[in-house]
Amino acid sequence: MSDTETRGGFTGDPAAALTVTGTSGCCGNPPQATLDLPEPATTVGGPCCGTQAEATAEGSCCGSAAKTDAVAASQGCCG
Amino acid sequence: MTTDLEALLARVDGDLMAGTVTALAGAPFTGRRAGSPGGSAVREWLGDQIQVLGAAPAVDLFGVRAVPEVYAAPDVTWSDGAITRRLVFGRQTAVHLASADQPAVRRGGLAVAGAGDPVGRWLLVPAYMSLFDAYGHAKGTLGLLIGRPVDADGWHYTMLAGPDPGPLPVLILDPGTHAAMLAAAPTGGTWLAASAPIRRVDVTAANLHGRWRSAAGGAADLLLTAHYDGVGDHPGLRQPAAADNGSGVAVVLEAVRLLAPVLPGGTGFAVALLDAEEIGALGSAHHAAHLRRTGTSPLVINVDGAGQLHEAAAVEAGGPAHRLLALLDQAGRHTGLPLAAGPVTSDNRRYAAAGFAAVGIGAGMGGYHSPADTPDRVETTTLVAVCRLVVATVWLAATTPAIVSSLIGD
Repeated sequence: MSDTETRGGFTGDPAAALTVTGTSGCCGNPPQATLDLPEPATTVGGPCCGTQAEATAEGSCCGSAAKTDAVAASQGCCG
Repeated sequence: MTTDLEALLARVDGDLMAGTVTALAGAPFTGRRAGSPGGSAVREWLGDQIQVLGAAPAVDLFGVRAVPEVYAAPDVTWSDGAITRRLVFGRQTAVHLASADQPAVRRGGLAVAGAGDPVGRWLLVPAYMSLFDAYGHAKGTLGLLIGRPVDADGWHYTMLAGPDPGPLPVLILDPGTHAAMLAAAPTGGTWLAASAPIRRVDVTAANLHGRWRSAAGGAADLLLTAHYDGVGDHPGLRQPAAADNGSGVAVVLEAVRLLAPVLPGGTGFAVALLDAEEIGALGSAHHAAHLRRTGTSPLVINVDGAGQLHEAAAVEAGGPAHRLLALLDQAGRHTGLPLAAGPVTSDNRRYAAAGFAAVGIGAGMGGYHSPADTPDRVETTTLVAVCRLVVATVWLAATTPAIVSSLIGD
């Protein structure tokens, strides 16, 4: 198996893992949800609370889509 | 070298890991809450596993104060004036973390916070009102009733980390029951009789360590971590904590079984099975402080949940983890496991906050802090996928440090 024959690894920039919103613990200890693969044109993120880039764009702790998902899943979210 | 890795990956044993998850979720360990008899028992069991794998287990004790414990099922009955209903603990009602201890059943009418006389009554807190605000309407009340959603299986989830106890009993209700009470309260003739048995206990928790190799000559020092504690059983309610985090422990032990005998000399390799993650990640905080004092700088790989992989495993990194991320990415590509940046709110954060390169890996949980977190909902395929990722990452860190380039240019 070569590295190029699989679809594994990070779907975006690995460095995004260093800027996951919520690292300070503002979301408490939410259920660890399984993730959907992101659309190619968007940044990656979990259901709570998305990525730093999303949060920055939204001017909030959460991306709006991530927040909606989190609320729908009763996970609670910040911001 | 790749051939060696392929042989190693082919030996990842899903059945072995599933067996470990089943054992950890077993009734004798009573949900593995820190400081509980089940927590002590599982630590002995895990120590035996570490010994079988070739290391001497070391126990590191630390104190934890004020761990909440629901010591009896709350006895909750209510009437809308026509029908009397007894609520089911865990599904229709639970004790809120902010609750004061109320061992005896107290009966009174129902009122709505901010809209009725609270004296001598149980006070329903509307969805729009915070608990803090509700206290402002609660003078003379018997206690507060808060609606909270249940999970997909109809369970309230249990948390151990949260607010300190307040001055009143506080019960949680499922949305349907809460709505029914809110509708009935203004009609009169309603009542509720309830206890809220919760206490705080000071306990001794313990991390469990095993070291197979010490780092030498500037080689990588790998530390695999997973928390073994759970939120614990409630009276009459088993909470097996299979995915959270029996699955993570199973992955780590299987990775050790495969890697410990074959890692090249000089590579440091150790495991920390952590306690009290569910009480604010106190076990990892304790260990990280110890590592700081000793001046060691391991690369930390923490597994928190390997139960139900959907499309991608979540990865959260902290500290100087750029190289570790590059290795993880390469391992993910090699094993075919997609990775996505996402929150892994676990022990990895404590190590990162202490300045260590740390990644947390999470691959889903079928149930969360409830009776639904059972071994049958932990997918063997997910255990295998995450273990292969961990094994490949450690192998790459140990064997090819000079040729693994960082994708982010550090």
